[in-house]
Amino acid sequence: MDSNRKLSDAAGPDLSVRIGRLKLKNPVMTASGTFGYGEEYAPFVDLNRLGAVIVKGLSLEPRPGNPPPRIMETPAGMLNAVGLQNIGVRAFIAEKLPFLRQYDTAVVANIFGETLEEYRRLAGILNDTEGVSAVEVNISCPNVKKGGIAFGARPELAAEVTRAVRGETALPVIVKLTPNVTDITEIALAVEEAGADALSLINTMTGMSVDIEKRRPRLANITGGLSGPAIRPIALRMVWQAVRAVKIPVIGIGGIATASDALEFLIAGATAIQVGTANFVSPSCTMEILEGIGRYLDRHGISGIAELIGSLDTSPEGKGEGDGDV
Amino acid sequence: MMGKETSLMTGTIIENRLAAPDHFLVSVRLPEAFPAPLPGQFVMVREAGRTAPLLARPLSVLGFTQNPGHGVLELLYRVVGEGTSLLSRLKPGDGISVMGPLGRGFAPPEGVEQVLFVAGGVGVAPLAYLLHGGLMTSETGRNLRKAFYLGARSAELLTCLDKLRDSCELGICTDDGSRGYCGSVTDLLARDIGGYEPKKTLIYACGPTPMIRSLKALLKGRPIPCQVSLEERMACGLGACLGCAVAIRRRGSGQGIEYKRVCKDGPVFDLEEVIP
Repeated sequence: MDSNRKLSDAAGPDLSVRIGRLKLKNPVMTASGTFGYGEEYAPFVDLNRLGAVIVKGLSLEPRPGNPPPRIMETPAGMLNAVGLQNIGVRAFIAEKLPFLRQYDTAVVANIFGETLEEYRRLAGILNDTEGVSAVEVNISCPNVKKGGIAFGARPELAAEVTRAVRGETALPVIVKLTPNVTDITEIALAVEEAGADALSLINTMTGMSVDIEKRRPRLANITGGLSGPAIRPIALRMVWQAVRAVKIPVIGIGGIATASDALEFLIAGATAIQVGTANFVSPSCTMEILEGIGRYLDRHGISGIAELIGSLDTSPEGKGEGDGDV
Repeated sequence: MMGKETSLMTGTIIENRLAAPDHFLVSVRLPEAFPAPLPGQFVMVREAGRTAPLLARPLSVLGFTQNPGHGVLELLYRVVGEGTSLLSRLKPGDGISVMGPLGRGFAPPEGVEQVLFVAGGVGVAPLAYLLHGGLMTSETGRNLRKAFYLGARSAELLTCLDKLRDSCELGICTDDGSRGYCGSVTDLLARDIGGYEPKKTLIYACGPTPMIRSLKALLKGRPIPCQVSLEERMACGLGACLGCAVAIRRRGSGQGIEYKRVCKDGPVFDLEEVIP
């Protein structure tokens, strides 16, 4: 892609990627809701080495979240109905952002609201906040009874939210899509047209679990969002579909636990990836994923990750080589 | 009480034996650098190298000894599902991944003369560690009167008796009367409660939710401070995912509740603020 890029043995492959105006030093980001506000993982992760930290979703006012039980393990995954508990955007800025700003990692503020006005106000506040590199717009959380699920399921509503946020901030706007739709490309196109700088997908898929002895739902909320390796093939398919539909960068999320998983998404066309549930399984997995991507590029003599992104060969003859082991 | 920084290490099973029906006592050899847990703290464990089931399991620390060159961690657990079932099949020499120490442990007894321990079932583990830990073996600790109330459904389900017998007054009860007092541990405590002076007494408790409910009811109108260790399903164990949050009465004026994390804000809470 870049004929001026040098092969630099000392530095290793170039892992930097661009999400609109935002340049990340590598494509490994942590997913909202799985990494707190960063501090919790400091014993296990060198926050300086991450491409970006996406903080727990922020609302205008603090939210208590749902009553327990909030989580349930499932085969190769888990359900969560945490209910978007958060300290509110102002408390985040005052109490949590200063810690993150100490590190050389992009801080992305994930936001959600129940009305367009809330989204606008959040975007406006964060636009004026130093230390925030981008905004990720949650239009897809399936745990809240109003707001989230409605916006993300219909292209015209998704576009409305995007426009509302776009109008209030010059920061890169990433819109996070829900998979609980019939056609993800419809939503993707509507959001792109409405001015998003990038898309991130997928959020969790709505699921359920029952305690057969008590004959009660395992979650107080009855349904919850399914995440983890179980959803990875669905996430990958949707990322691939979205990449082919839009021109803006697509960030891949969904069950990524290893470098090999991350590479599948990058090859399918994701510009960057987010790691979520895997952080609960192995708190330093983001570092292992980062190192694994580097080793893969070295092994294949690829000097820059841009060469790999979207290099999926879907031709009938298929000229691919190697076994893809990292 | 917050201890040293948490870490993730792989240890080796020394012993993993049946302590009672469905209850196992496991001892794990850990690297010397593993921080000594404080009483009331817990660890997240899984078989080393496995990612199925997905999540590690939170277990209270029963014991920990620091030896030259290594540490020995002891845990007591009940087999309740897939994770604990797999754990029970680990053999001496097998690798076990341990993340910890985690959580806020028990706070020291200050300004009291009598300490009561109220344990139901597998809740005996953190209280046994507390009994033998620094809080109780310090100079002030040794002068305290200590009474341990231990309950289980039946005699065969009583565990850790050897750890308790010589260190305190021990009151045993079983739901079916097969050993000791016939009734719940809170029934047994109710018999004695009038004899404890509220201003000079502190209770440490750990057990199933019905026990905590009964304890709360028993202490209504009796201002005896009580620290209780809770449990909840966990994913991250670090305070990031908010999956293990429980309802806690908001301090200060007005009613209202907030959700606090058992893994980070707890597992030890004041019984007064808990809504079981």
